[in-house]
Amino acid sequence: MIPISYNVRSLLVRKTTTLATAGGIALVVFVLAAALMLSSGVKKTLVAGGRDDNAIVLRKGSGNELSSSIESNTVSLILAAPGVKKDDTGAPLGSGEVIVVIAQEKLGAKPGQVSNILVRGVAENVLKLRPEARLVAGRSPKPGTDECLIGKGIAGNFRGMSLGEKFELKKNRPVEVVGVFEAGGSSFESEVWVNVETARTSFGREGLVSSVTVRLESPAKLDAFKANVSTDKQLQLEAKRETTYYEEQSQGTALFIAGMGWVVSVFCAFGAMLGAMNTMFAAVAQRKREVGTLRALGFSKFSILSSFVLESTVLAVVGGLIGLGASLLLSFARVSMMNFATWQEVSFSFSPTPRLLIGSLVAGALMGILGGFLPALKAARTSPIEAMRG
Amino acid sequence: MSETTNGKSDIIALNKVGKTFWRGKERLDVLQELDLTMKEGSFEALMGPSGSGKSTLLNLIAGLDVPSSGSLRVAGVELSQMSEGDRAGFRAANIGFVFQTYNLLPVLTALENVELPLLLAKLPAAERRKRAQTALKVVGLEDRMSHYPRQLSGGQEQRVTIARAIVSDPKIIVADEPTGDLDRHAANEILNLLGKLNTEFNKTIVMVTHDPAAAERASICHRLDKGALAL
Repeated sequence: MIPISYNVRSLLVRKTTTLATAGGIALVVFVLAAALMLSSGVKKTLVAGGRDDNAIVLRKGSGNELSSSIESNTVSLILAAPGVKKDDTGAPLGSGEVIVVIAQEKLGAKPGQVSNILVRGVAENVLKLRPEARLVAGRSPKPGTDECLIGKGIAGNFRGMSLGEKFELKKNRPVEVVGVFEAGGSSFESEVWVNVETARTSFGREGLVSSVTVRLESPAKLDAFKANVSTDKQLQLEAKRETTYYEEQSQGTALFIAGMGWVVSVFCAFGAMLGAMNTMFAAVAQRKREVGTLRALGFSKFSILSSFVLESTVLAVVGGLIGLGASLLLSFARVSMMNFATWQEVSFSFSPTPRLLIGSLVAGALMGILGGFLPALKAARTSPIEAMRG
Repeated sequence: MSETTNGKSDIIALNKVGKTFWRGKERLDVLQELDLTMKEGSFEALMGPSGSGKSTLLNLIAGLDVPSSGSLRVAGVELSQMSEGDRAGFRAANIGFVFQTYNLLPVLTALENVELPLLLAKLPAAERRKRAQTALKVVGLEDRMSHYPRQLSGGQEQRVTIARAIVSDPKIIVADEPTGDLDRHAANEILNLLGKLNTEFNKTIVMVTHDPAAAERASICHRLDKGALAL
């Protein structure tokens, strides 16, 4: 086989065209990797909100908490179902929660620009039910007051949403921020947690909750719990493992971002591939006599073909690595965007995984292989007599 | 190879070889029923005006092309019916090339250029390197092994080409105007080197040249005119 040093050095000789072509491929890999990292970040953020040993109960067919409605007197029946864990006092570990979305003015944006914030009316035992959430500033709200906690993802980003400030939950219904919590980077960090009664009375949800979340004795108890909850056909309830629920919630947004990324990348990839093809055609034309010489010396057509495909692939991999390097810088950034399941604004991070990084690099290499194939075929067809032409 | 009276066999034998090219609908008979033999270990020159067919003949002998008609045996192998892939293998095993414009790969060093034909021989890397170094010593360039072609003079480049031509120990060396791009001094050095390969290493050398001084170094000079041997 023709030594790879021949290809690498030939690329280095044509620095400008090599860099331009590698830059095009870098851009495609950057766009693709960034979209996949964001999609992965969305999934990670939303799924991180769930626990395997938590189950969530919704009105059958509602799809998500926002459109679910369960009568309050049903909550005690659900909490009494088999498999629900008890706390130290013997009380079932679970609560009904009210979910609403409010529009709040965003700081640093155009005046008057608002974004949706998800408000969760929670019971006093919320930190027991979700131990991954912990206070990082301030204190827990006092029972029976209009005090609230906010996630650190929204703290300081919206009017009135900083520790010690007040904002209107509804017109003439101010609540005071007394604590900021973090929740392992999950979407809870983009929520406001108020007392469930405050949420009910503010939004006219008396006698209702949106969902009931319970801690199971173990993840294996889900089937028994589900069977019990869905037995009463009149109640029309369905139970899901919390991780499953959040995974379903993340799918729409994650798929949309990944899909957009692929669409943009495919269009860009055509351009980059044509660039690689053009570069390699020029290289083949420039090195016609060199190729003819290699053929004259006895190198087969396949050797020439694979050598030029390899050269194009090396070019693409270099471009891909540059693109990946640039995309990895995004992992230091956070973006806020709409969660299509709840219409709330959630803060996401770009989450690189080995699989998606390798996948993006392979996509870049594929561009090199496809873009380099036709020029390589032309090179392989070079007659050895070209070597004899003066 | 056929045995002859003086003990040396014919390493190249052309029997009624013709070569026709088509330019659109126009037929060009570049070689016409050519009969020619060359003995193993001989140094033969091909001369003739432009368009006489000498380069075409050299291409046929080197296995770069096939005749349109007739029989062509080189190093005991009938080339006229051979596939392109088989001819590539034949060239790698039997032919060393010396080109007018040297045709070294500019991004490889002298040593790497000389090593190229050995990549087809499935030799260990250390053995390849050793043989390439030996070939460069034969042509007197042991102190230029790591130089790139652009760092060498024309004469030195041509000597690297000769080292590349002999490194795999082929039976035949075909040289296409090997002194065409060189000054007289460098040309003499190259011709001396080719003479040495012929006499000391028993290489059969077939050289196309326009230079009468170069042709004088050959033991036999064939003159071609309009695709046929001139008497």
